[in-house]
Amino acid sequence: MTFIRGFAAEVRKGLLDLLAGWREVLMEMITFPLFYLLIVLFMGRGQLRADLLLPVLLGMVALTFIHEQVNRVFWSYLGDIQSGVLEQTCLTPLPPAASILGRQVSAVIAALPTALAVLATGAVAVTVQGGELPVDAQMIVPLAAIALGTCGLALILCGLTLVFKRIEIITQLSVAVYAIAGGTLVPLAAMPDQIAFLSRLVVPVAPGIEAMRDILLGGHSLAALPTGWGLGWLLAQPLLITAAGVVLFNRFEHLARHRGTLGRH
Amino acid sequence: MIEIDALTKVYGAAQVRAVDEVSLRIPAGSVFGFLGPNGAGKTTTIKMLAGLLTPTSGRVRLGGFDVARQRPSAMAQFGAVLEGSRNVYWSLSAWQNLMYFGRLKGLRKARVAERAQDLLTDLGLWERRHDKVGGFSRGMQQKVAIAAALIADPPIVLLDEPTLGLDVEATRTVKNWIAEQARELGTTILLTTHQLDVAQELCDRVAVIRQGRLVADLPTRELLARFRERDRYEIRVEGAAPSGFDAVTRDGVTTISARVSDPLEVYDVVERLRAQGAVLESLTQVQPDLEDVFLALVSEPSHA
Repeated sequence: MTFIRGFAAEVRKGLLDLLAGWREVLMEMITFPLFYLLIVLFMGRGQLRADLLLPVLLGMVALTFIHEQVNRVFWSYLGDIQSGVLEQTCLTPLPPAASILGRQVSAVIAALPTALAVLATGAVAVTVQGGELPVDAQMIVPLAAIALGTCGLALILCGLTLVFKRIEIITQLSVAVYAIAGGTLVPLAAMPDQIAFLSRLVVPVAPGIEAMRDILLGGHSLAALPTGWGLGWLLAQPLLITAAGVVLFNRFEHLARHRGTLGRH
Repeated sequence: MIEIDALTKVYGAAQVRAVDEVSLRIPAGSVFGFLGPNGAGKTTTIKMLAGLLTPTSGRVRLGGFDVARQRPSAMAQFGAVLEGSRNVYWSLSAWQNLMYFGRLKGLRKARVAERAQDLLTDLGLWERRHDKVGGFSRGMQQKVAIAAALIADPPIVLLDEPTLGLDVEATRTVKNWIAEQARELGTTILLTTHQLDVAQELCDRVAVIRQGRLVADLPTRELLARFRERDRYEIRVEGAAPSGFDAVTRDGVTTISARVSDPLEVYDVVERLRAQGAVLESLTQVQPDLEDVFLALVSEPSHA
């Protein structure tokens, strides 16, 4: 019961922060759809090409979750370390990893307004180009896989920052790798085999994005995904990454307690 | 009760012993002062006590629970205000902070709300409960931090420099409140401060750490008595300084410092003063305060 109450408190705090920072959310709701349209324009040599609108839309929605779950959570966690508030949260019976998981849930919720703004922009653009935005309830599975896998990465990055100073560059780099190697803009099938293999193996969003393309663009069912490593891997990869995230976070947290780096104020 | 056994912390390849074999017993319901100069090992000891830093060796038990092996149970016994730290979220209101930390401690929502109302009322923050803590004065922020530390009504509270940077009124509120927590509610309070008058006023017992080792751990009265200079008296007389005495005159009053080998010699000193026509205003045995004791303890030559 203590765990549930603490976890719920962490989620609620994240949502209060979201409300307090509504201007930032509003800015993202404007800039992310704008970036989406610009990317399609650049890729289509100045044209909003119908064949690009939908694939890029899927990648952009995934990137919205990555941004919230990795960037926002990492920076807020680093802020808590530097202000010393993190030490207070460690003086509770709640396992520290649960605090990150609570932050992840609120980050997923925080990503929804921007993701919906991107989706709405995409829907309008696709309709204007004479197409139709496909809808399939099966989409929820790869989206959940993306959110869960990203949660694993966030755990690893937050664990790293407990021990090592100035690892911001690693966070920025990992988001860039997501964008490039995760198949958000260019499908894995169009990449060199070795890169595609590595992406499917370790990039948390890669199997999810590939599955979304198969479902929405190819009209395939979850049980018979033609590209990638199938439904089993789509479910297993984020679980494995999150499990690895929990283990690594706990190791880093243990190390931080040895070195005395839980607070650096 | 807080039990610390042979607590040691050695840092890095250079094997720096920040804390060396520190042992303490702090009984329930007492206010315990943990003093030391900067860099003496106070913060390191406190962080080990709070489970924020793993000791190289030794053990800490809070309310009978081992901090290393029974962390959740030990933390349920414990609340802390740490120095140099914000302690609470400035982006949230006082009320939201207390609800957050109360729930994090595992309390039911209704219980947290009830306790938060009591604490905010006691500390004079009830009217401003919905204001963001970032907009509060330093004293009000410190009160919110203290309230957050006490939200789960822990039997053990660590207050690291609780009156640092506070004005006279806020310092008095916090001091009164600490005394009330210990005397009336039986809370065990571990207090660290550089404001030794605060420690002297509040603490039942005081320990002094220096270069990672305890150099004193005694009831406050006993510690002061040990350093009492039984052979020194301060005599105040009206007018100019009599001859043959170590004296200072200010605003028409002369203060004489007299050292005697036997207390009965004081009568001889007074007689000599009378012979010179001095009018006696007061005569007191010099009583050291905690600051004198502290300075004496930390300035002794190191035996390390």
